[in-house]
Amino acid sequence: MNEPLLDVRGLTTSFETGQGRLTAVDDVSFSIEEGEVFGVVGESGSGKSVTALSVMRLLDDAGTVEADEVWFDGTDLLSLSEAEMRSIRGGEISMIFQDPMTSLNPVMTIGEQIAEVVRHHGDTGERTGFWSEMRRKYVTGTSTESRSWRRAIELLETVGIPEPEQRATEYPHQLSGGMRQRVVIAQALAGDPSLIIADEPTTALDVSIEAQILNEILELSEEFGISVMLITHDLGVVRETCDRVAVMYASEFMETGHVDDLFEDPHHPYTEGLLASIPRIDDDREWLSVIEGTVPDLIDKPSGCPFQDRCDYAFELCDRPLVEYELDSTKRVRHAVRCHRENERVRVDESGHVTDVPDEAVAALERRIEAENDASNDPAVADSGIRTDGGSPTGGSDEPERRGDRDEY
Amino acid sequence: MGLKQYLLKRLVHSVFVMFFVVTVVFFAVRAVPGDPARLMLGGDADPAALEALRQELGLNQPLYVQYFQWLRRLLTGNFGESIRTGEPVLGSLAQVAGPTLSIAGLGMVIALVIAIPTGILSSVKRYEIEDYLSTTVAFFGISMPAFWIGIVLILVIGVNVDAVPTFGYTPIDEGVSPWFRSIILPAFAVGFPYGGILMRMMRSSMLEVLNEDYMRTARAKGLNSNLVLFKHGLQNALIPVVTLAGIFLAVVLGGVVAVEIVFGIRGLGRLLIGSINRRDFPLIQGTVLIISFVFVLANIVVDLLYTMINPRIKYGGGE
Repeated sequence: MNEPLLDVRGLTTSFETGQGRLTAVDDVSFSIEEGEVFGVVGESGSGKSVTALSVMRLLDDAGTVEADEVWFDGTDLLSLSEAEMRSIRGGEISMIFQDPMTSLNPVMTIGEQIAEVVRHHGDTGERTGFWSEMRRKYVTGTSTESRSWRRAIELLETVGIPEPEQRATEYPHQLSGGMRQRVVIAQALAGDPSLIIADEPTTALDVSIEAQILNEILELSEEFGISVMLITHDLGVVRETCDRVAVMYASEFMETGHVDDLFEDPHHPYTEGLLASIPRIDDDREWLSVIEGTVPDLIDKPSGCPFQDRCDYAFELCDRPLVEYELDSTKRVRHAVRCHRENERVRVDESGHVTDVPDEAVAALERRIEAENDASNDPAVADSGIRTDGGSPTGGSDEPERRGDRDEY
Repeated sequence: MGLKQYLLKRLVHSVFVMFFVVTVVFFAVRAVPGDPARLMLGGDADPAALEALRQELGLNQPLYVQYFQWLRRLLTGNFGESIRTGEPVLGSLAQVAGPTLSIAGLGMVIALVIAIPTGILSSVKRYEIEDYLSTTVAFFGISMPAFWIGIVLILVIGVNVDAVPTFGYTPIDEGVSPWFRSIILPAFAVGFPYGGILMRMMRSSMLEVLNEDYMRTARAKGLNSNLVLFKHGLQNALIPVVTLAGIFLAVVLGGVVAVEIVFGIRGLGRLLIGSINRRDFPLIQGTVLIISFVFVLANIVVDLLYTMINPRIKYGGGE
C-alpha cells in the first residue's frame, strides 16, 4: 500500500501560561491517506484545532510543538525552513477556518483574496514580491486581466457562486455567510493542495447551509483527489462524511478507527458516552444521557487517563500512563484505543466493568511503557517496531525504510 | 449616494457647525469682563470720549442688534474691521494663515510619519525593548504640552544649530528651504504630542488586528510575515487611527496657538491671543471662525479617507 499522505507521530504541543504549562496536544499520532476524509471529533478545548495548527506550524511563539515525526508526502515538515514551510501552507496543505465572517479580510476584494493564493502557489508568472504585492493592494488593484484573477473567477464558479466576475470585485461583507464560506473553500482550493484541513467549517453557519457547505467540500475534494482532515464536534457530521475518525479528549486521541467500527463498536468509554448522548428520533428517554463531570484541567496535566474521573469503568490501572491498544487485526482499517481495559490480560465482565487485574497485566503494561519511553528517547530503537501504537492503518512494514532515509539528512 | 452629494451634504452640515461656534463665541467674548473702548483709551480716559468711541464702534447697541448686524455682514463675506486698527479682519487673517497652516500641516505629517511605523513596530515587538522605548517616547509626547517641547527644542537644537532659526517665519515664496527651516521646530513641537496619541492608537489597533482570524488565514495561505502585516493588517489597523486622527486634530490646532508665541511667529494663534487681550471682538470672531472652518474641513477629509480605507462604510450611511 502507499505511504500515507500525512503521517504524524507523537505530536505534543504545549503553551506556557501564567498558571503553568498547558498541554494542548499530548502525544498524538495519526495518519491521513490520499483521498481520505479523516475526522477529528472532540469537544471544545480538546485540542483539535491546535493539532491542525501544529501540523501547519501556524502557532505563534507562545506554543511549543514537539513531535517525533510529521511526514507529509515524503517531506518532514519539522525539518523545513520557514520559507519552505510557506510553500506548503496554502499550496500543499490549505485550511478552511471556522468562521467565514472573521476569517476573510474585510478590506480586500474576495477576488484578490483568492488570486493571491493562486499567485503565490501557482505558475502564473506574476510578481509576488513585497513591493509588487503592496502596489497591487494599495495603488493599482488587482488586474482583472491577470491570470490569477481569472483563475479566482473560475474557482468562484467551481464552488457555486453565481455571477463570479461581479462577486470577485466585492468585499466579504457584501456576501451571505454561506457564500463567504464558499469563498473560503475556493481560497483553499486555489493553491491546488493535496490536503485540506477544515477546522469546524460549518459551526458558524446556519444549519440549513451546513449540509450544502459540507457537500461542497467533500465533492470537490473527491473531484480533485484531495484528502480532508475534518475537525468537528458534531458526531452526525463525522458519521456522514468521514472515512476514518479520531476521538479527541483532553488533548489526547482516545480512539481511532474506521467510522463504522467506531460507531457500531465503540471501545473507549468516552466514545461510548458521546454516542449515547446523541438524541435519536425513536428515543423514548425522558433525559438524554450525559457524561458526568467536567474536562480535567490541562495545566500541569497528570499522567494517566484524563477521562478516569468521569469514567464508569475506572479501575486501578487508569492512573498509569496511557498506551495504545490495537483491536482485532482482521479489521479492514486499524482500530486503536487508549484505554487499559483493552489490555488482554485484564478481565472484563459482560457490562464492560473490570473484574480482575492480574499481576502479569501490570507487568506487561510496565514493560510496554518502558519500551515506549526508550523508543521516544531514541528514534533508532523505534525502528524495531516495539511501538505498536501508530496511526497508520498499513502497519509498520515500510516504515524502517523511510526512517532510514531520514537518518541520512 | 454619490460623492458630490455627500460632499454637499457635509458642507451644509459644516455651515451649521460653524454658525453655532461663532454664535457661542460672539456672546462669550462679550460676557467676559473688559471693554474694548476703555482698553484703547486707557483707565483714566475721559468718559465722554469713551462714550463717543463706543458709539463709533457700535458697542452701545443692544447685543442682539450687534449680533444680527455682524451676521448680516458675514453672509456677504464681510468679516468686519478690527476695533483696534480698523483694518479688515479678513485681510489680517489672510496675512497670518500661511504660517499657521504650514506649521499645522507639517506637524501632522511629522506625527503620522513617526506614529504609524513606530506604532506597528511596537505592536509587533510587544513587550520587547522596541515597544518599551517607543511607548515611553509616546507617553512623553502625550504628557508634555507643545509649547514646552518648543522651548526645549529652541534650547537644545535652535541655539546650537544655525540652520534652524529659533524665531520668526519665512514665507514659502522666499524659498522652500528657508520656509521649511523656519517651521521645522514649531511643527515638530505641535506634531510630537499628536504623534504620541496616534502612535498609541496605532499600537493598540494593530495589536487587535494581529489577533484577527483573517491574519491567521493570511499566514495559512503561505504569505510571508511582511505581506501578512502590511498587505492584510495595515489597512485594517488604520481604520480606527484615521477616525481618531481627525478628532485629535484639535491637539494640533491648540498646540499651534501656543507654539507660535514661543517661536515668535505671527500666526493665527498669536493673532487670536492678542485680539482676546485687546477684546478686539470682530477679530476674535473671525479667527475662531477660520480655525473652526479648518477643523471641520479636515474632518470631512478624514471621513472621505475613512470611506476609502473601509469598504464597509458608505457615504451617508447605506443605500
